[in-house]
Amino acid sequence: MNHRLVRTVASLAFGLSCGSAWAGLSVEAGEVRLSGAGATFPAPLYTRWVSEYEKGHPSVQIDYRSIGSGGGVKAIADKTVAFGATDAPLSEKEIAAMGGTDSVVQFPAALGAVVPAYNLPGVDKPLQFTGAILVDIYLGRISSWDDAQLQKLNPDVKLPKTPITPVFRTDGSGTTHVFTSYLGTQSPEFKGEVGVGKQVKWPLGQGGKGNEGVAAVIQQTAGALGYIEHNYAIANKISYGAVQNKAGKFVLATPESVSAAGDASSATLKGNVLRADVWNAPGDGAYPISAFTYIVLYKQLENIKTDAEASALLGYQRWTLGPGQKFAAEMHYAPLSEKVQAAALAALSSVTHQGKPIPVQP
Amino acid sequence: MTPASAATPAANTPGWSRESMQARLGGSGGGGNKAEAATLRRARIGDAMLDWACRLSAALIALMLISLIAVLVHSAWPAIKQFGLGFLVNSEWRANEIERPLRDSAGKLILRDGEPAMETLAPAFGALPVIWGTAISSALALLIAVPISLSAAIFLVRVAPKLKIAGAASFLIEFLAAVPSLAFGIWALFVLAPFFQKYVGPFLHRILEPLPGLRWMFYESTTVAGRTIERPIPLTGRDLFTGSLILAIMILPIVTSVSRDVLRAVPRTQIEGTLALGATWWQSCVAMLRYGRSGLLGAIMLGLARAAGETMAVTMVIGNNNQISPSPFAPAQTMASVLANEFGEATEGLHRAALLYVALILLTMSLIFNVIARRLVVGKLASRNQ
Repeated sequence: MNHRLVRTVASLAFGLSCGSAWAGLSVEAGEVRLSGAGATFPAPLYTRWVSEYEKGHPSVQIDYRSIGSGGGVKAIADKTVAFGATDAPLSEKEIAAMGGTDSVVQFPAALGAVVPAYNLPGVDKPLQFTGAILVDIYLGRISSWDDAQLQKLNPDVKLPKTPITPVFRTDGSGTTHVFTSYLGTQSPEFKGEVGVGKQVKWPLGQGGKGNEGVAAVIQQTAGALGYIEHNYAIANKISYGAVQNKAGKFVLATPESVSAAGDASSATLKGNVLRADVWNAPGDGAYPISAFTYIVLYKQLENIKTDAEASALLGYQRWTLGPGQKFAAEMHYAPLSEKVQAAALAALSSVTHQGKPIPVQP
Repeated sequence: MTPASAATPAANTPGWSRESMQARLGGSGGGGNKAEAATLRRARIGDAMLDWACRLSAALIALMLISLIAVLVHSAWPAIKQFGLGFLVNSEWRANEIERPLRDSAGKLILRDGEPAMETLAPAFGALPVIWGTAISSALALLIAVPISLSAAIFLVRVAPKLKIAGAASFLIEFLAAVPSLAFGIWALFVLAPFFQKYVGPFLHRILEPLPGLRWMFYESTTVAGRTIERPIPLTGRDLFTGSLILAIMILPIVTSVSRDVLRAVPRTQIEGTLALGATWWQSCVAMLRYGRSGLLGAIMLGLARAAGETMAVTMVIGNNNQISPSPFAPAQTMASVLANEFGEATEGLHRAALLYVALILLTMSLIFNVIARRLVVGKLASRNQ
C-alpha cells in the first residue's frame, strides 16, 4: 500500500546518487548512460532486459524508472528521458504535444494479459468465464458463485454458495483500461453504465490500490473475484480462469495465447506510430483480454545529445525486439509474434539522430 | 511522584522571561564595573538576535500554512470554478467519459437518421461520497472511543494514583499514540479484517438480520440500465465498520491523555465538596466530568480532527468504494483515502484538481476542528494556573 512512498524515497535516493555521480565521479570514457521512464506493468520485464543487455554491452548503462504510464508520457514529452513507456497508446492530443505523427515513433515491446482471478477454496480446476458473465458479476446481476449460468458453464466443478465480491483497481491503470475495454465489447449496457477508461466508477464491490492491493483483497476474501495482470496472478499463486474468446473457445492466458492475440492485429500495424487494440481478438487460440505495452521515442531523437547515445539507444531497442523477446515468456509476459516484431523493427528503422542516419552497433 | 506528574510543576516556576534575566544580570554586581557592563552589552546583543530568530521562525511556520492553502486553492481552481459549492453535495465521482445511446423517458432508444443517437457524459466529480464516508467513520469512531477514553481518564486521575500505577498506565496509553499508522493498518488488514470476515460479520448477520427494520444493513441495491437489483452485501471485513474501529483505536490515546489533563485540572475542592455533600463515587465523577465539559469537548474535537485526517490505516480496511451506502458493512471511502488511492495516477487535469479540492476541504475542516479544540482545552487548562 505504501509503494508510492517507497518509490518516492527510491527516486529521491536515485536523484541524489545521480547528482553526486555527475558532480563527483566523471563518467568513464566511452560509457553511455540512458534513461527511460513509464509504465509499471512491464517494469519487471524491462529491468530484466536492461540487466541482460548490460551483460553483453558493458559500456551502456540504462536506468528504467517505473513511474506509471502517464508519468512516462509526460517525461518523454518534456524530453527528460531517452525513451518513454506506456500501456495505453499515445492519444492524438499527446502526439500533437510531441510535434505530430511525423516526429514520434511508437511501437509495441511486449504483450500482457489481464486475468479474472478468484479465491474459491476447494475449487482447484480453472473456471471458465464468458464476457457476459464477467459483466453480470461486475454489475451485480450475478451475486453468488452457485449461480445457474456459472454452474452451467462449469459442469465439472461443484460451485459453492459463496457470495461473489467483485474487486477493482482504485487507481488509474492500464489494467483497468484493458479490462473495461474488453467488457465494453461484450455488453453495450456495460459500456453505457460503467464505461471504458483507466479509472471508472464501479457500481459495487471492493477497491484495491495497484495489482498488489487487488491481489491482497482477493487472497483474503473467500468468494472474491478481481482482475489483475497475468504475471501478478502467477507470482502470488492466485487462481484464475479461462475466458471465452471471439471464436467461442475458452482460453487460458499463456504466452502463446496472448501472442496470438497480438498476431491477429499485425496487418494493421503500419507506419511509425503503431497501435492496435487487441482485446477480443479473432482466432481460435487468442486470449481475449490482452494488450500491447508500448515504447515511445522521438523520431529524430532531438532529446538525445550525442551520436554515441543515439546509437546505444537504438541498439538496445533493436535487441529488445529480437533476442530480448525470449525473456518475455520467462517473466510471464508474452513475446511479440514474428509479424509484429517485423512491424516494430520497421517503425524503429525510421529513427534518425537529428536527421542523420544512426550507425548500427555491433 | 511519578515521572509524568513530576514534570508539571517545572512549567510553573517563574524565570525565563527577558525582564527577569536582565534583572538578575543587572542586580548581581550593583553596576560601575567595566567587565560587567561589557557582559551586559553582549547579553543585550544576544537577546536581540535571539529575539529576531524567534520571530523569524514563527513567521516561517505561519508562512508555510499560508502558502500551503494558497497552493491548494491555486491547483484546485479548475475544479472550484467548474463545480463550485455543488461539489460538496454531488455524489457522482467518475473519472472516465461515457458514451452511450440516448434513451427517452420510457427507456427506448432515440433514433436519429435511423441510427441510435449518442450522448457523451463528461467526467464528473462530487465529494459527497467521501464526505459521507469521513463523517460516518469519524462519528462511529468517536462513538466507540469516547466512552472508553473518558473511563480511562477517570481511572488515571482517580483510581490509578491510589494503586501507584498511574505512570505506567499513562505511558502505555501514550505509547499507542507513537505507533505509526501504517502499523495499525497492517494489523487491521491482516488480523482485524479476517477476524471480522470469519467471525464477527457472520455473527452479527445471524443475530441482527431477523430483527425488523435492519434489513438495510445487509443488502445493497444497484441500478443498471434503469433496473434496480438488490443483493446481499458480502461481509468481507473491509468496510465502514472496520475502518471506524481502527480509527477508534487510533484516536484513543489522544482523547485519553487530553481528557486526563483536563480532569486533573478540576480543583480538588470541587471533588471534596461533592463528597462532603454526600455524593457517591459515581456521582462525584459525573460532577467532575461536568466541571471539565468544555475541555473534554476539546479533547473529543482533537480526536475528531485526527480521525478525519487519518489515511493509511483507513485506506487499507475501508473497502475503497466511492459510494454512499447506509450500511456499516458496505465498503466506503474517506477524503483522505480517496487521495491516497487516486492521486498518484491522476494525470488528467480536472481529476487532479478535484482531488486537490477534496484536500482543501479536508485541510479546512481539520483547521476548524483544531482551532475549536485548542480554544476549549487551552482555555480550561490556563484557568487552572490562575
